[in-house]
Amino acid sequence: MKFIENIGEIPIKLFSSLGKFFLFIAFFFKYLLKPKFYLKNNLSYFINIFISSIPIIGLTGIFSGMVLALQSYTGFSRFSAESAIPNIVVLTLTRELGPVLTGLMISARVGSSIAAEIATMRVTEQIDALKTLNTNYYNYLVTPRVISLTLALPIFVTLVDFIGVMGGYLVSVHRLGFNDNLYLLNTINFLSLGDYLSGIIKAVTFGFIISIVSCYCGLFSDKGAFGVGSATTNAVVISSILILSSNYFLTELFF
Amino acid sequence: MKIEIKNLKKKFNENFVLKDISLTIEKNKSTIILGQSGCGKSVLIKIIYQLYGFDSGSILYNEKTEVDIEKFSMLFQYGALFDSLKISENIAFTDFINNKTDFEKKVLSLMSDVGLDKSNFDKYPSEISGGMKKRVALARALYKNPKVIFLDEPTTGLDPINSDKINELILQVITNRKITAVTITHDIKSAIKTGDNYYFIDKGIIQDKGDCKKILKTKNKVFKSFIKGADIKQ
Repeated sequence: MKFIENIGEIPIKLFSSLGKFFLFIAFFFKYLLKPKFYLKNNLSYFINIFISSIPIIGLTGIFSGMVLALQSYTGFSRFSAESAIPNIVVLTLTRELGPVLTGLMISARVGSSIAAEIATMRVTEQIDALKTLNTNYYNYLVTPRVISLTLALPIFVTLVDFIGVMGGYLVSVHRLGFNDNLYLLNTINFLSLGDYLSGIIKAVTFGFIISIVSCYCGLFSDKGAFGVGSATTNAVVISSILILSSNYFLTELFF
Repeated sequence: MKIEIKNLKKKFNENFVLKDISLTIEKNKSTIILGQSGCGKSVLIKIIYQLYGFDSGSILYNEKTEVDIEKFSMLFQYGALFDSLKISENIAFTDFINNKTDFEKKVLSLMSDVGLDKSNFDKYPSEISGGMKKRVALARALYKNPKVIFLDEPTTGLDPINSDKINELILQVITNRKITAVTITHDIKSAIKTGDNYYFIDKGIIQDKGDCKKILKTKNKVFKSFIKGADIKQ
């Protein structure tokens, strides 16, 4: 009997958590529609995210572009299609690798820090303190993080796209012997606004996913050090899975 | 403000933390709620503050069920100061986040009231001691001139000398400002020093109540054991 109860408990918990999560998103939009913006808080959070993420964004971009150029060469040289490498590098980066890799890196860098920070605030009663100070935690904690990350991710993806293309250019020109002008010309001529925009729409979606999931995991964490640890892990794992799965549906949409 | 609680029950999952709590917090008096760690004292004051809901029973604030919680304030067990903000910004939190800039004079006056040197004005919580954090938290609680102040274990984590200083300070603040105070603690010495009347909670119910000055004369066996520091469960 206990065994059957345990089996039944799993879907109940799952659906109850899902319901709680969707309610959380609904409340976020409710308070977004009648906002009380703490400008200083919003701005400082955006700057903080931006500065702390630039180094990993740069490294992600340059190495992805370089590897992509080398790997494409391995494949395309087998049927003498090396000239397609600039096109493949730019297309793969803007449509796919740029947004997905940036999303995953930012979920590890920023998402984990959001979840840990908010979970610690919960454990140390700072969330309760906000309520006693007549401050809505959606407006003070959730909105700045969600808005900042949703706006920052398209900028990060644009940077990764650009740095990645430059990485591909460096390897193609200096390692594989491509003509530098021709490489850049092929890249620019091949890239369409639609390719770039499809990546940006993915970036906006991923930014929203990372921030809302991380805030939720932090705010509803269990108490104690274990709770903070679990909140951080859950934020990264859930964000990453949602990024990868939503990426498929968005790709279908722009296919 | 007079607060009357009748037959209050609260459960987490299926476990009742508060089974049947009835008590009265008298206006401008200092009420002490005593009990072992984990007996639901903190939950009780958070319910009164309306931070948590409850399962059954009633709470009347000046004989009404509705209350403006702007009249309430709370000092949290470990201060609950915001690490990324300076001491002054913590104290004047609401004004600070609403971009008001004229809070300096009021903050300095409050810092002086709670015995904090003005050199701490621009420091961060990580740069001050535990005792000073309690003082900052008290100043923040007093910033909005509350009618009722809730003090959650104000002397926890402090050495006996600092505990005594904080007790003196609390007594002075609630007497001078004529505010209703609700303090939860397991420190009998603090209760006698700062309280007018007490309630002792054990196993989710009120086991004993009375005048704080007569705590040591209690006839309740469970409370006597608690005072002696014995394990109540045995």
